[in-house]
Amino acid sequence: MEQTRRQTASQSQKLMIFVLTMALYGLATLFTELIPKFQVGIVEFSVEYFLFIPLTLAMLFDPMSAALGAATGELVFSEIMLGQFGGLGELEKFLTVTIGVYIAGRMVKNPKNRKMVGIAAMTGVVLQLLMGTIVDIMKVQFAVEDFEAVAGLPESVFATEGFAFLNDALFSGILFCLLPTLYLVPMLYGKIEPLLGMSPRTEKTWMGGISGKVVLGSVVAFAAAAGAELLATSGTSLIDWEADWAESGTAMAVGMTVAAAVAVIIIAVLRKTAGSMKEERA
Amino acid sequence: MKKLSENIMDKFTIDFLRTQVLKNAYGNDDTVIASLDPRILLVWYLFFAIVPWFVQDVYFLMGCFLLVMVTTRLARVAGLVLFLFGLGVFSQTGYLFLASLLFGGNLSTAVPLLVLTLKVATVSLASVTVFSGLDPDRLSNGLMWYGCPERLSFSISYAYRVLPMLMEEFQNILLAYRMRGNPPPHDTVPQKIRYLCYQVKIIMQAFYPLMLNTAKRSRTTVEALEIKGYRYAAVNKDVKKMKLAALRVTYNDLMFLAVSFLWVAVSALVSSIM
Repeated sequence: MEQTRRQTASQSQKLMIFVLTMALYGLATLFTELIPKFQVGIVEFSVEYFLFIPLTLAMLFDPMSAALGAATGELVFSEIMLGQFGGLGELEKFLTVTIGVYIAGRMVKNPKNRKMVGIAAMTGVVLQLLMGTIVDIMKVQFAVEDFEAVAGLPESVFATEGFAFLNDALFSGILFCLLPTLYLVPMLYGKIEPLLGMSPRTEKTWMGGISGKVVLGSVVAFAAAAGAELLATSGTSLIDWEADWAESGTAMAVGMTVAAAVAVIIIAVLRKTAGSMKEERA
Repeated sequence: MKKLSENIMDKFTIDFLRTQVLKNAYGNDDTVIASLDPRILLVWYLFFAIVPWFVQDVYFLMGCFLLVMVTTRLARVAGLVLFLFGLGVFSQTGYLFLASLLFGGNLSTAVPLLVLTLKVATVSLASVTVFSGLDPDRLSNGLMWYGCPERLSFSISYAYRVLPMLMEEFQNILLAYRMRGNPPPHDTVPQKIRYLCYQVKIIMQAFYPLMLNTAKRSRTTVEALEIKGYRYAAVNKDVKKMKLAALRVTYNDLMFLAVSFLWVAVSALVSSIM
């Protein structure tokens, strides 16, 4: 059995990795959502990223399951449970987290090699943040009408977004991603895998480096993310439609109001009769 | 000042967070919103999540905003969530307004930003209504009815069940670390910073045992699921049908839709007259 087999996991092991990452990262994002941020001058100190959890797990286990688990965990725990679900826009965060974690996980050949682990962790964080920043800038540009016309707005968007990116990458990236990952990966290596019934990743069994396919897939996914976010923010055809509808004006709105009022009355009557019928039967 | 910060720190314990989250999830299943059919509510949510983005009219947006404010009130959402909502809206647009003032903008910047704020607020309040007003099980059933992947509805149900346990476990690990540890003194400012770093370090280190424990637990969970044939049941049509048989649309749901529709129509009317 000493073949150079790739580190693959059976379906149920993939589910285990998924559940593990989801629960842990979900818990962590819930905390970050709840912990207030505090500012010193213009530098914001926030425990923005517990991204070290999925990064660590992606370096030790199957990267795809870990990445998807992390993204789902964030979605479910911090967005849906706290009722902060932003609709289509959440797809952007989902995909950028998945890409960042997946690429970082694929980069590590030997989890004992601290240098590589560090480089991979930083790459994952910076990738995720950079994609988020690009989408954010595009979002404001599309959402606010006459973007260029508003005095001081374009510069302020670039400045705040750029600054937030640098701040997050340097502060959260190093303190909350790089250091914990460097600490956790070698410590967990060889200890956590048997708990899921797997053998640890070695140079023989890793999945191979970043190939063209991975890069292409990531670019497509990022395009989808940006598209979803922009679709959530803007949409030229629908705006045109809206304008037409507004022009046809008051008559249409009156019609809609009357129709709605009639619907309310009919349903109220139906509900009352249904209620009284039930009472008669009882 | 010292007293104030102590007061805030007292309130912000893990226990407080846990009760708030649990209250948000399970504490309000007797409200008007919670008794509605999840499928109807999701359709309703879809409207308020998409339409405001495409409308530029202040009156119409204001109308939508008032409506979702009323529904949020009806859903009796936990205070912490509303606080976070306020913070989120401010950090998205209020921050931008202050920054644009800094770069020589004036009050004319406020009008497009008011539109943006109303949009963001409407969309997020609609999601607060639906996603924290509904019971997690009903919510995941509703999502499943619309053909969302089984993985997602499983994740939602699982998250709500496992979260209290995870929080308790994390707290226990933290307490164990504290009991064994020897924290540095925190009287002067540099010492306080060192104390903060020490705290953060402990939180990070606590994830090591937590990861191992959760790994064991997730293996148990998945194996238990496998015994019940979860992976086959998840894709089986008959199982899904049985699971969703309890969903029923009543007149209350239709009434809710009709009243919302009436309100939106009226605000459209107002905006076309103005």
